[in-house]
Parts: sequence; structure tokens; C-alpha cells
Amino acid sequence: MDAEARLQQDDTRRRWALALPAVTIITLFSILPLVLVVVYSFLTPGDFGNVKWQLSFEGWFGVLFERDIFDDTVSFSDAHLTILGRSVALSLATTFITLVLGVPTAWFIATRPARQRAFWLFMITIPFWTNLLVRTIAVQEMIRSEGVFNSLFLWLRVIDAPIQMMFTNFAVLLGMAYVFLPLMVLPVYAAIEKFDFRLAEAAYDLYASRLYCARKVILPIVRPGIIAGSILVFIPSLSAYVTPRIMGGGKSMMLGNLIEMQFGQGRNWPLGAALALTLTALVLVALVWYTRLTSGKRKDV
Amino acid sequence: MLDLRNLTKRFGKGDSAFTALHEVSFSIKEGEFFTLLGPSGCGKTTLLRMIAGFEPPSGGALVLDGRDIAQMPPNRRPVNTVFQNYALFPHMTVAENVGFALSAMGRPKAEISETTVRMLDLVQLSHLAHRKSGELSGGQQQRVALARALAPKPRILLLDEPLSALDMKLRKEMQVELKRLQQETRLTFVFVTHDQEEALTMSDRIAVMNGGRIQQIATPRELYDQPANRFVAGFIGETNFLPAHCTKGLLTLPQAAASLPVSYADGPVTLMVRPEHILLGETQASALTLTARVERLVYFGTDTHVHLQAEGELTLIARVQNGMRSGAPYREGETVTISLPSEALRLLPQEVA
Repeated sequence: MDAEARLQQDDTRRRWALALPAVTIITLFSILPLVLVVVYSFLTPGDFGNVKWQLSFEGWFGVLFERDIFDDTVSFSDAHLTILGRSVALSLATTFITLVLGVPTAWFIATRPARQRAFWLFMITIPFWTNLLVRTIAVQEMIRSEGVFNSLFLWLRVIDAPIQMMFTNFAVLLGMAYVFLPLMVLPVYAAIEKFDFRLAEAAYDLYASRLYCARKVILPIVRPGIIAGSILVFIPSLSAYVTPRIMGGGKSMMLGNLIEMQFGQGRNWPLGAALALTLTALVLVALVWYTRLTSGKRKDV
Repeated sequence: MLDLRNLTKRFGKGDSAFTALHEVSFSIKEGEFFTLLGPSGCGKTTLLRMIAGFEPPSGGALVLDGRDIAQMPPNRRPVNTVFQNYALFPHMTVAENVGFALSAMGRPKAEISETTVRMLDLVQLSHLAHRKSGELSGGQQQRVALARALAPKPRILLLDEPLSALDMKLRKEMQVELKRLQQETRLTFVFVTHDQEEALTMSDRIAVMNGGRIQQIATPRELYDQPANRFVAGFIGETNFLPAHCTKGLLTLPQAAASLPVSYADGPVTLMVRPEHILLGETQASALTLTARVERLVYFGTDTHVHLQAEGELTLIARVQNGMRSGAPYREGETVTISLPSEALRLLPQEVA
């Protein structure tokens, strides 16, 4: 072996050695658990939880279908479809609400003088210091039957009896929108803050109305921030667990709660694993759509 | 065509109030290359932004073609701007940038593409029509910005220090190019710059500004030869200032033996003479003659600057053209006779420095 080839081999070895910690961590904490979930989804549920090492497709079957316990007829699982539909719908709605609230908020902060911006950003990030559970329970305190709103409205005689707000889709939506709002504001703020307002001035000079300028100049330039914010809200919403558990209870369950149930009371680990993988697939679809939107070649307007 | 009448701009309120423009009045003629020249902070950019519509005036009128446009928003004024940083839309192609104004006005597609082609032709960038604006060099971006502002056929084109970001060579080329465009389109250009050379080479008329006031409005030659005050004289070209005195129609300079007959009010005056007008080693009939010591010689290629020291701490700079013969015409430390010809002298009122 000549010297050059040996040098090259050394180089390759060194690169592998340098990559080892990262590869180890990814394998241990990302690939291995995923493989485990995939394997479990193809096993038979044990009698008291856990799994029997017996190949079975019942787990995957159970994601969408159910078998009648008496006559074995197969039908779509209404409960699962409802929960899946609700999860997607509530996540989309959460994304929409945070967009409607977050974009103007981000715009407001980004257009303040540089010194004030830090203060407003600080205000936005304060809720992050509090535990998610505490924040969610705080929202619950506002809307429960004996909570702040109902008490106030009763006292003002706007209503005769407390309005049922807890354990509804509205409650879950409110909780998620509140919890995830900063995730929308921050990336949108970052995009608007980078926007060169001299471009808006140039558009204004070139006979553009305010609306035309917003549509043709500002929006296309800050769009990546808006998409990033939407993804950052949509993905955790889809897999939300704590908020729907507290705000929705058993009535407004989401995917995360359904999965948890399979590992708890349901004692159906393979079904839980299959549902978890379904959720992962949904997130993946959203991410692929996101990369398409941001990096894909846009057609000329 | 465009009349500025007592235009005033104040920023802030109370104690922190700052007046950027003090009752500025002048007129710009149709088809003129008009330059606002002054040091930074003189109010020239504020004035330009006021014509564009970005700064509402605190007082006064802005009359374009007989109509007061002072309160009209920028998107309704038939005035377009070439911005200092070009402000091209980074997400659009060159052609989309150029067609932006016409699209915003809702003109038909055929007209937009026809105008875009013509404008890109005018600035010689047709081959780059489909590039993104971020992929262009500074000079090319400059041309796109020009084409974009010219496309909607404005009554006035405003240019806010458009050449300041370019390197020296490109700047000289663009100066010629801008003048060509202005003559070809016969459009009124209002050009803002702090570079006196740029102003002198391109403009039909120049307004020299300082401290929010117009100091003088004149052609480049008039500004150079007959500056209205010490600021204009000092800002444009190089100048020597000499304190002198007028008594009964006679101008006396303490360092010169003879005095000159002048028609000027009695009292202390400032005498101004350009370095290239000082004659070294020669005497003239109608001139102030004095002796001075050569302090330093600075070689500039085409000419040599001679730093002179006369009596009473008076320093002067003379500029001597370098002839074909080699070698310095003077030696440092040498004493020479210099004369200031009467036709080269300008009298300015003495100002408190």
C-alpha cells in the first residue's frame, strides 16, 4: 500500500471516529425506538398489556377497522375515524387561529422601535417559563362552570346558568391556541423583522396600493416565516396530549390520548404502536409539504 | 413645472424639535437635470423624500403642473424614485421588477411586457430579463432600478445618491449613462448627491444646500466661478480664502504692497481665489502681488500643488500644471513672487467662522 492510500484510509477512519458520538445517539434514541415501535405494531397483544411474540396484523387492522365481538363482522372504526378527523381538524383550526392572532402580533412587535422589541418579545416568551400543565389548568380555571368567565357573566346577569365550555372541542382549541401561540409569533416575527421596509416604500412609490404592496411584496418575502410558524404549531397540535386530556377530557379526545389509552386501560400495545406510526406518517406528510412549499421552485407569478 | 414654495420640515416636538428644511423655495424646469448638492444632514434627502411623498411637509406648497401635491400619497404622484440601495424586489425577476409599476396600475399584460422590453433595452439589460434581482452585480441592479422607475413614464425622476454604492470606475461610467438616459428620455431628473464632481459633470443646474437652507442655485460653471458665499466656495472645488479689507473702493490685502480698485461696500471682506488661478513667478498689471515661501510640493500627475506660506500666517495653495519638461519647477524653501489677478478674485462677505 502506498503512502497516499494509507493517508486516505487514515482520513476516512478519523471521519468515522468523529461521527461516532452522533451516530450512537441517533441510533440509540431515534432509530432503535422507532424500530421497536414498528416491530411491536406487528405483534399480538398480551393479556395484561405488553406483547406476545407472535406475528399479527391486528394492530394495523385496528387503526381503521373494528371486528364485532359476536359475529366477527368487519366495519370501519367510527371512534378512531372521529378522533383522527378531530385531531386533524382541531390542529388545522389551532394553526388558523394562531395565524390570525400571531401574524398581526408579530407585525406589531417587528414595527416597534428596536429598543421596545426586546420588551415585547420578552412578554411573548414569559408563558414558556411556566409548566405546560400549569398553563393549561389556568385556562381551565377561566372557562370551567364555576370559573372566572361564568362567575362574571352570572354576576352581570348576562346568563342564567353557567355555559358548559369545558370538555368541548372549543375548550381544546382554546387551550392549544393559547399554548402554541408563541410558536407562531416568533418565526413570523423573525421574518418580518428581517423585511426591508424600504421595499414597501419602493412599491408605494411605484403606484402600488397598500393592499397590492402587502400581497405582492411583503407577503411573498415573509412567507417562509409564516409557513415555519404554521408547521411549528400544526405538528405539536396534532400530537398534543396534555391539553386535550385536561380541556377535552374523555369527550374531545385526540390522537395522543387514543395512543396513550392503548398502552393503559386498552392493553393493546400493537394497536398503540400502529396508531403512533400513523401519527408519525401524518407529521411526515406535513413536513414534506412544508419543504415543497419553501424550497421547491416556484412558478413565476 | 415643479414649484417649491416655502417648504418647511420640522421633526420632533418641543425642545427636541429639529428643523430639517427652512422655507425652501425654487422652481425646477421641464427636462432639466437638477441636482441637490450638500453635505450629509443638509436636508437634501428630506427634500427629495418630500417631492416623492414620503415626508409630508410641515409647511409650504409643492406645486406640480399647477397642482399642489404636498398632501398627495406617493402612489398617486407621477414621480418615481431610484433609491440609494436600489430597493429591488428580491423575489421577482428583473422583468417583473421593471413591470411592477404598470402591474400595480392594472395595465393590460401586452402593454406591460412591451414597456418592460423597451425599458430593459434602454438600460441594455435585455439579456438578464429572467434573472432574479439578487443575482445581479451592483451596476446591473442600478440599471434595473433605473428601468423600473422609468417604466411608468413619470413626470419627474428622483435619484437618491444612486451612484454612491458603486466603485469609482463604474460610477464614472454610470454618470455618462445617466446623462445619456436623461437626454434620450428628455425627462426631468432631480438628483441628490454629496459628491460635487458628480454634480458638476451631470447637472444643468445645482442647488447647493447646507443646514436646511438653499445656499445657491446656479449652473455648474456659475457655482464654481461665482459662488454666492463662503460655504458654496469651499464646498465646490478647492479654494483659498484671504482676509482683506475694502476702503473707499480700494481693496487692500495686508501682505500685498499695492491695492486694487473694486466696487464693493467698505469693511472687512473675504477674498477668494482658486488654486489654478494663482500665478507663480509672474507679475501682472492688474493683480495683487505678494511674496511667499514654498512650504511643500505635492505631485498629482497632471499638476503639482504648491503649498505657500506668506506673512501673517497666511497659507495658500497654488496649482501649477505640469508641462512636458521634467523636474519640479520650484524647490521647497524657495521664496517666490505670486500674483492674484484681479479677474480671478471674488469678494465674499466676511462671515464669522
